[in-house]
Amino acid sequence: MSQDNPDYAALTDAAAALVDLPIAPEYRAKVIENVARSHAIARPLLALDLDDGLETGPTFRSEGP
Amino acid sequence: MTAALDKAATAATIVADIGAGRTTATAVVEAALQRIAASEPTVNAFTDIVATRARARAAAVDAGAAKGPLAGVPFAVKNLFDVEGLSTRAGSVINVDRPAARRDAALVRRLEAAGAVLVGALNMGEYAYDFTGENAHYGPSRNPHDPGRMTGGSSGGSGAAVASGEVPFSLGSDTNGSVRVPSSLCGLFGLKPTYGRLSRAGSFLFVDSLDHLGPMARSVEDLALAFDAMQGPDPDDPVCTARPAEPVRGRLEEGIAGLRIAIAGGYFAQGGEPEAFEAVARAAKALGASRIVELPQAGIARSAAYIITAIEGAQLHLPRLRTRAGDFDPDTRERFMAGALLPGAWYVKAQRFRRLYRAAVLKIFEEVDVILAPATPCTAPTLGQTMMTIAGTTMPVRANLGLFTQPISFIGLPVAVAPLRTASGLPIGVQAIARPYGEQAALRVARHLEKLGVADATPA
Repeated sequence: MSQDNPDYAALTDAAAALVDLPIAPEYRAKVIENVARSHAIARPLLALDLDDGLETGPTFRSEGP
Repeated sequence: MTAALDKAATAATIVADIGAGRTTATAVVEAALQRIAASEPTVNAFTDIVATRARARAAAVDAGAAKGPLAGVPFAVKNLFDVEGLSTRAGSVINVDRPAARRDAALVRRLEAAGAVLVGALNMGEYAYDFTGENAHYGPSRNPHDPGRMTGGSSGGSGAAVASGEVPFSLGSDTNGSVRVPSSLCGLFGLKPTYGRLSRAGSFLFVDSLDHLGPMARSVEDLALAFDAMQGPDPDDPVCTARPAEPVRGRLEEGIAGLRIAIAGGYFAQGGEPEAFEAVARAAKALGASRIVELPQAGIARSAAYIITAIEGAQLHLPRLRTRAGDFDPDTRERFMAGALLPGAWYVKAQRFRRLYRAAVLKIFEEVDVILAPATPCTAPTLGQTMMTIAGTTMPVRANLGLFTQPISFIGLPVAVAPLRTASGLPIGVQAIARPYGEQAALRVARHLEKLGVADATPA
């Protein structure tokens, strides 16, 4: 397993256990495929260097709605 | 028969005819219910019809008990809006087991306060995770311009109901393009307002960070009428702006004088079929626009929108994925499951990038007022089609119909879609994108294209 070619099946099984999501055998292959696709789509974002000072734009307000 | 009873009648025509005594709200609503009964076997836009409620409401309008700028105008809403007495399906069968809504969604209440008459709830892609308008539980909504083709989604029923002439306008939701994609494929004017402009209270959300609600119609004036009736702060939605309403209807006839209009280049000038770019070119020519601007890192914006959507959507549905996976639409289930497994670090990075991208795009809006871009990379694919070839590259339909809409909604910019006809006769939309809270500028551009006859939303 490498960063460029992770073992998506192992990652899927491990993460599913971690978030307590049972995945029936008939769904597993498509879930793995979608995890791999999501990684492919995320790669340009993950490759970016962001400045430490860049925060998210939250809408949460401590005083209420 | 007065014009108000015709399937091509706009909301403005209906209001004028009722106001002048040429017809009644009851007659208009009955005509709409008849059109729905006749069209549904073909377009499958509705999942729920509230005829008894609509007739009572129309009678109240005729009795003078309900007045307003939309008095007597029938409309329908995507079935993720709460409608009192109905379960809010959000395109699912799972939600049918939830208690019926005890109150209408905020926007339904506001439209009815303006005199409009709700006639039903509309088909949609399950939980709004969709660009096609297909649904395994309720069947696909079908494109009125060619029932063998997709409406686009996820507000597919909202597109089909208006493009078929069943109702003059509808409401949809738009997380990554779900108002704009069906507006494009069904040939309608659509408005995705600024993020936070319209209250989302009483709707079954999908991705809180990106969800917008907005109208679809066959005229820009109708978009404006509906938009104006729905504006205003709402403490029930923490995202809804505290800004006062800024009515746009009175500004539509200002034309485009003073507006600096540009064309999106780079990312938005590739990856589509020629008809998508020809539509933009035609609109630009009519508007006298020639300047090209480039939205930097638009492709990464799409990636980030995808990640935020996958993770927030999956987190929302995780309890149901654990217990009722078999009841999900097969076209959403595994995508939701995968989203639940993605790293939180990806999500936070996507949210941080959102702020960076917003700053870069707002810089462009210091020099221009409206940016034109394709709404979809192609005209409506055929129903059931899973792959498409765009500019020589084969890609999944489901993920890529929102290619040009995702980087815009990602930062909440207001967009009006104007529909043009292609050589094949099928429609395709052009996005008029404005700076935050600049809906009036986007709508003025759409109105100008409508007046020139370049944009056309004639029902099928």
